[in-house]
Amino acid sequence: MPGLFEGFVARHRKGVTLAVLVIVSLTFLLVSNRSIVIKPKEVGLSFVGFFQKGFTGFFRWFGDTAGSIRQLNAARDELDAARAKLQDMDRVTREIVELRRQNAMLRGQLDLSQSLPPDRIAAEVIARDTDNLFSTITINKGARQGVRPGMPVVAYQGDMEGLVGKVLIAGPGASQILPLYDPQCLVSARLDASRDEGLVKGEGKDHGTLLLQYVKKTAKDAIQYGDLVVTSGLGGLYPKGINLGRVRDIRALAYETSLEIEVEPIINFDRLEYVFLIDAESSGGPPGTQAGPPGTTGAPGQ
Amino acid sequence: MNRDGRITLFTIFALALCVLLQSTLLNRVAIKGVRPDLALIVLIFVSMRRGSMVGQVSGFAAGIFEDLMNVSPLGFHSLMRTLIGYLYGIFAGNVFIDPFLMPMVLTVIATILKGLLAGIVSAIFGIASSGFITFTGRLWIEVAYNGVLAPFLFALLGLFRIFKQADKEGA
Repeated sequence: MPGLFEGFVARHRKGVTLAVLVIVSLTFLLVSNRSIVIKPKEVGLSFVGFFQKGFTGFFRWFGDTAGSIRQLNAARDELDAARAKLQDMDRVTREIVELRRQNAMLRGQLDLSQSLPPDRIAAEVIARDTDNLFSTITINKGARQGVRPGMPVVAYQGDMEGLVGKVLIAGPGASQILPLYDPQCLVSARLDASRDEGLVKGEGKDHGTLLLQYVKKTAKDAIQYGDLVVTSGLGGLYPKGINLGRVRDIRALAYETSLEIEVEPIINFDRLEYVFLIDAESSGGPPGTQAGPPGTTGAPGQ
Repeated sequence: MNRDGRITLFTIFALALCVLLQSTLLNRVAIKGVRPDLALIVLIFVSMRRGSMVGQVSGFAAGIFEDLMNVSPLGFHSLMRTLIGYLYGIFAGNVFIDPFLMPMVLTVIATILKGLLAGIVSAIFGIASSGFITFTGRLWIEVAYNGVLAPFLFALLGLFRIFKQADKEGA
């Protein structure tokens, strides 16, 4: 009998190796992934659903392409109007930059930065996910530097602070961040102008935008394109008032009781080099209060 | 250690290097955030040259390495790369690989296969991901990117004597 088994293994060496490797991989998946679907009906549904999503996505792509051509003409007219507006904005921006510079200088003179609590850990982005399937960002600071899972992460781009995401895994010397655009990242948010609350959800790297959901339909008239969306501080994970993005599109679907608002993130994730991790515990303040200004730990901002 | 063992070790090293490059340097050449999957192209090349055994074992090892680096559950990439390594290895020595067209075709098919496998595994195991779990634009960008790079990478890998074509028995 052992001879028969050995003979079989010798004859089907490649097949046996494949079976072993696949079983090992599946065992790893079962052990490391708690949310396995084990009911046959659900497995079937998920399996079929995958193909359904694929078909829908494929045909939607064609639809979107046709729609894009129509929108191109409208966009051309809008572009002319926007150019005129941009010239005006340029002048305003120059004034703001000048005011900020003056403000920073005066703050420096007053030595305000010395009195700020060291509640931010500066870190450098050292890697992204190895594959295009997932979207984590790896930074060069870990548990040894005080990084803990769940810590909010911000960055500075174009003189604005914006939320990057939260710490997902904190290793000893490096950590992984779940970025804002990941569909798993949910942030309690508020429209800065109208003060309406909602929930911001990532739409994946494909879209490059975020989705603000659960905003009452009655608030539609109070919301303008370009309105700033900030964290509301509810839930306690993210401090209040961190910029998330600007309103890009407002959709009031007939079958929904709330608005669907497309938000363009403040942060350009492709240009992310340095980030700051907010340590609400070391600042002593309860979650829901905005932490101090940047630059207190000496790393460069963006 | 026999020749296949040495090749497998060398391939695992090459694949690990590709995975590291993908997570760091290749971000600079990403198109809409999508990077080419160099490890997949190397795996296809080695499997087509050296057969299923080398393909699946090195694919499994590189996949485990990738899973340890990523947020993906352990076993996710190893399963995909094992299957792709095995499948392509079946055709080792049976397909004529010209310098340009076949590397492109093989890589395009493998990338779509990877997307399909990722979707099926994610659906069954309930794995959340922001990538091409459905057949969205990101997958097609990667398909094109990998396809364009494949002939160049095949040509480069062909310079290594260690990857010399296996005879049919060894495959």
